Amino acid sequence: MTETIPMRVKYLKPILLASTLIGLSQWSGLSLAQTADQLYKRGLAATCANCHGTDGKGVVDGGMPLINNLTSQEMLAKLKAYKSGALEGTIMPQLAKGYTDEQLTTIANQLGKKQ
Amino acid sequence: MDRRHFIGQSAAAVGLLAGLSSQTKAANLQKAEILVIGGGYGGATAAKYLRLFSKNTARVTLIEPNTSFISCPMSNLVIGGSRNLAEITSPYDTLSKRHGIKIIQDSVSSIDPDKKTVTLASGKTLRYDKAVVSPGVSLNFKSVEGLAQANKDGITLQAWKAGPETVALHKQIAAMREGGTFAITIPEAPYRCPPGPYERACQVANYLKQHNPKGKVIILDANQDVTSKGALFKKVWAEQYAGIIEYRPKSNVVGVDAKTKTLKLEVEDDVKADVLNVLPQMAAGEIAIKSGLANSNGRWVNVNFLNFESTARKDIHVLGDAIQIAPLMPKSGHMANQHAKVAAAAIVAELSGWEVNPAPVLTNTCYSFVNDREVVHVASVHQYNAAEKTFKTVPGSGGLSPAPSTLEGVYAWGWAHNIWADSLG
Repeated sequence: MTETIPMRVKYLKPILLASTLIGLSQWSGLSLAQTADQLYKRGLAATCANCHGTDGKGVVDGGMPLINNLTSQEMLAKLKAYKSGALEGTIMPQLAKGYTDEQLTTIANQLGKKQ
Repeated sequence: MDRRHFIGQSAAAVGLLAGLSSQTKAANLQKAEILVIGGGYGGATAAKYLRLFSKNTARVTLIEPNTSFISCPMSNLVIGGSRNLAEITSPYDTLSKRHGIKIIQDSVSSIDPDKKTVTLASGKTLRYDKAVVSPGVSLNFKSVEGLAQANKDGITLQAWKAGPETVALHKQIAAMREGGTFAITIPEAPYRCPPGPYERACQVANYLKQHNPKGKVIILDANQDVTSKGALFKKVWAEQYAGIIEYRPKSNVVGVDAKTKTLKLEVEDDVKADVLNVLPQMAAGEIAIKSGLANSNGRWVNVNFLNFESTARKDIHVLGDAIQIAPLMPKSGHMANQHAKVAAAAIVAELSGWEVNPAPVLTNTCYSFVNDREVVHVASVHQYNAAEKTFKTVPGSGGLSPAPSTLEGVYAWGWAHNIWADSLG
């Protein structure tokens, strides 16, 4: 333990130096970082936004069923039920059949209420 | 320096290099000038999602001549008199206030793809690294003899681009003599909004049924048959508008006599009517044609469907009704919104140094009001097919309503409120 602490201090130095050179913007930039995979997932979930709102937050009392009260598990169960025909609806059974199970899982994970 | 210390410094150095690398790419995203031309369903959505997908780091400027957005979907209800223009109008300033998008109220007079500049009607020139062009359609008035002047004089109206003509057309219908005839003409597909003319005929018939019961609607369709939701529309015409709506397929209108309000057809006899709503052939918005982007028969823009980049010009991405569509992909507002999200994600990926998503998905839903409350829909899902480099509809997915319903009427308004908020809110 006693050895570890001064070591950390030592190798923090170049990072601090670098941060001074690059400027503070780097650190705010890093906090905004996302991966390509996250971008693809957001893009897929955005296919639902036309009807159910940006990021799944629909217009309240707008006339379309709201989905942002559902957990990811509940949302996936519903999407799969639409796809199999177990759950009736107007457009959703037709749309759910167009997505793979993996895509439906991604959508449910993206838009489901985070617990 | 002991070994552990050395590893520590190396790890920090590697981390630093990784940080620098991502910083450089992020800087490309942050430094790039992205111009979005046109604030319809495609352009407004692209501007907003470029900001959302870049976590508000991309510099986005939207160029749009109008002060507010007027929706083409739902505008047939204004023509039918059950809704007004204010109900289908949304402000643009939310895009600047909430999402930090710079909005320039102007129109684009030219694009120089070599210099990567855009010149505005006001004379100002802007540089871009990426341009998103979403100009909608242009109406080729020259495709019908006499139409350009008749429309200029307000004798015939198109009202296909929602706005003042939408209100003017309703006024013409409301002022029509008792027992008068309204004629709508439909050009050969492709044109913006395949079911739109048939929905419009329903809305006018619904108005006449209540206010001018001896009035008539004639649909002169250049196509072989109803191009969208055919069985549903025909059922409605027979059940709700018998004796009011007359449908004439294979009726190509080639001329208009404004003095006598007569339509000249290619083959059949002339048709005289009291109110003329002539929809001419359509092509990509003028700026796309002027800029050399319309490389499909000089009318539509071919794009790479992975990122919606024009196949004619690098770093110009084209969306919405202006593009040469993939098979079974409609020219609709919903589809333009979906194009925009694929393009926005691709642009963010490219500027971040990432591979563009190799498997994008698009959906379409389209609601048509058959009266002021009942609605029918068509829906589809389009998955990118890498082998054929196009979008293909998924077998077994999508479809039509079994019958008109008031529940779908509620959903149609829900769709409208949500897509307006998704594109502009």
